[in-house]
Amino acid sequence: MSGSASFDSFSGRPSVTAPAIAPTPPPVQSARARMTERIIGVLALVGTAFTVWLGLWVTPPDKFQGNLVRLVYIHPGVAWVALYAAFGLATVSSLFYLWPRTRSLFWDRLAAASVEVGVVFNVCTLISGSIWGKPTWGVWWAWDARLTLTAVLLVLYLGYMALRRLPAEPEVRARRSAFVALFAAIDIPLVHFSVDWWNTLHQGATVLNANLTSKIHGSMAWTLLLGFVSLTLVFVWMLLVRYRIGVLEDWLDTNQLDLALAERQSEGTDREPGPGDGSAPVRVGVS
Amino acid sequence: MRYVDAGYVVVLSILFLYGVQLAWRRRRLARAVSRAVSGSDGTPSEPSVIGRSS
Repeated sequence: MSGSASFDSFSGRPSVTAPAIAPTPPPVQSARARMTERIIGVLALVGTAFTVWLGLWVTPPDKFQGNLVRLVYIHPGVAWVALYAAFGLATVSSLFYLWPRTRSLFWDRLAAASVEVGVVFNVCTLISGSIWGKPTWGVWWAWDARLTLTAVLLVLYLGYMALRRLPAEPEVRARRSAFVALFAAIDIPLVHFSVDWWNTLHQGATVLNANLTSKIHGSMAWTLLLGFVSLTLVFVWMLLVRYRIGVLEDWLDTNQLDLALAERQSEGTDREPGPGDGSAPVRVGVS
Repeated sequence: MRYVDAGYVVVLSILFLYGVQLAWRRRRLARAVSRAVSGSDGTPSEPSVIGRSS
């Protein structure tokens, strides 16, 4: 903090006056950003409502799975968001943060936001899969490669979130978190290819298989596709809001001390100093 | 259908509650920032004295 030399009227000696504390301007969200966020939010809501309507009432039961196929309209969607959109974005953002040319706290905040939203979708993936598994396999949970690796993924990203809560300088926290995100990302291809590499209970790739030939048809395919799009929009909306929360939190963390000092200063200058009154200007120095 | 209904209810409820929580968190923080900014508006008309005293 720089100070300017002045003359102390009390002691007649030169003193240094602290400048007025000026916190950085608060982060303001542009009207365009707010509008974009609202449009995405409305589209996500409408899309999800349509998916539920098509999934529960319009599409026919499956020949083999019966009505249980209806869970398939949301389960792969939430899994896609968690695994590829959220954790994939967190991985890319962490790489951008660690790359010296693109290093910016923007990437760190984006990764943190993406991981948090991804964890929620990962929980949804495990729960919806478990609810589908009970009537289909007869058990709520099996130590199957796909299921176990998805659970490991959840634990890894919970660890990432826990690490971010440790007190540290923003740059230190960002660097640590980026390394952990990259470590956790090793599990993403393992989850994806687990159904090919190991003999698992979980069915193989239905939509994105090696031949790119979908094994699902008609209204079922369209409902599944709409589910993917809607849940991705839900993810984008949540990501935007969560990112904004990160910006506001960082601003408050950075400026809280300055603001508190400014408040104390204003309290001190608002009242007339009297003998024995603690409201007199603060004197710090060597006698 | 009860497993199907349960699956939809649980997943959509989690997403809805998380979305509401996000919106609430953002609103609370936005208010905290505006409060902090408005609180510091009338500040330092007189800077504090930092220096030597007898």
